[in-house]
Amino acid sequence: MRIYSRFFLVAMSIACTGTLATGKDNSPRFKTAEAKHFTQAEGVELSPAFGDYFYAELRAELKKAKMASEIIGEGEAVDDSDAPTSVVITGTITEYKKGSVVKSALIGFGAGLRSLKMDADVLRRSDKQNLCVLHVHVKIDPRWNEKVMAKFAAQQLIKNMKSELKAQPN
Amino acid sequence: MVSSSKFVSCTFLSPILLIGCLSAGADEPKPTPENTISVQLAEPVPAQKFENAPKFWIGDVIDRSGNPQPMLVLKERGGIFLDRQPKQIIREALEQSLKAANLLAADANSADLVMRVYLFQFGLAQGSGLDFFGKVEFTAMVKNPKTGESSEVKAAGTSIAKAAVRKKNIQKNVQDDVEESLKDAIRNFLRGQQLKDAVAKLRKGADIVPAAPAPANP
Repeated sequence: MRIYSRFFLVAMSIACTGTLATGKDNSPRFKTAEAKHFTQAEGVELSPAFGDYFYAELRAELKKAKMASEIIGEGEAVDDSDAPTSVVITGTITEYKKGSVVKSALIGFGAGLRSLKMDADVLRRSDKQNLCVLHVHVKIDPRWNEKVMAKFAAQQLIKNMKSELKAQPN
Repeated sequence: MVSSSKFVSCTFLSPILLIGCLSAGADEPKPTPENTISVQLAEPVPAQKFENAPKFWIGDVIDRSGNPQPMLVLKERGGIFLDRQPKQIIREALEQSLKAANLLAADANSADLVMRVYLFQFGLAQGSGLDFFGKVEFTAMVKNPKTGESSEVKAAGTSIAKAAVRKKNIQKNVQDDVEESLKDAIRNFLRGQQLKDAVAKLRKGADIVPAAPAPANP
């Protein structure tokens, strides 16, 4: 009986320690986050529909990442009290290569892939301080729709943003 | 010889053409209660606070999407239709949210600002094919009927929903997607900086009371 009670106590203490260790603070870091339509650098030939779709994907990924309590639309007003804990994501698509199906099929090993490069800044809303600078480079098969690339780019951007901000103190 | 070849070609070609015409007719989806969805706001969208809260009135809502079938949301898999015209849905959503914020005038004559809404997109836009991309886009011309001044306010809402295989799930996801994008667009409009600036600009002129003419000295 004594052995059983000791065993029970040990098991309970391990369970409690485990719970405490894994218990994370899941509250979002920012009050609001606003994504803006990314601008295109000179020479980038992407349709306006791509910009819209990328913007929507970016917002969807921000919601999924739960980094902010509220994901607001472009140009929405924010209370002054919330501004210090709010961020704005701006960016530029710096390079787009549409790729080559022939090269991809004949050479392979990454040749002829469709590629997209973009730079993004995460700014604090109140003082416009740059919290992090992100560089994203996405490559996909040239036969795929360019909007698939937008999806991957948005996922990559949020992943990078998460890891960059994690490294910084709150 | 020529007539026999004509007869043979007609005999073979006519059934093929007939089948082609029938299948083309069958591809055109028809609205039924099973493939019709009702899109509306689950709850009113909270509007921003205005210093001197004006009363709005929604005048005309004009569909400028150029879509020949505005109620057809999705053509594939037997089609998905809206139960009302998109312009009616937009009007109801705006009225519902303005009323909840006590910003809706009782009639056009008592309104401080009158809105004319131009709808550019409502429903699904072309996405990646891996999901549904909902998009609602409109522009409102906000006019002060007393001064005649007007200002343009743009609003857009987007939403991404998961793709599905079963028809029932497709219908549900599309409905959620369009509702979410509608909510997003209404929110973008009512909480936007553009509306705030437009109201400030249009009300500025209205606050100035014209000075009474000085009495002429005898």
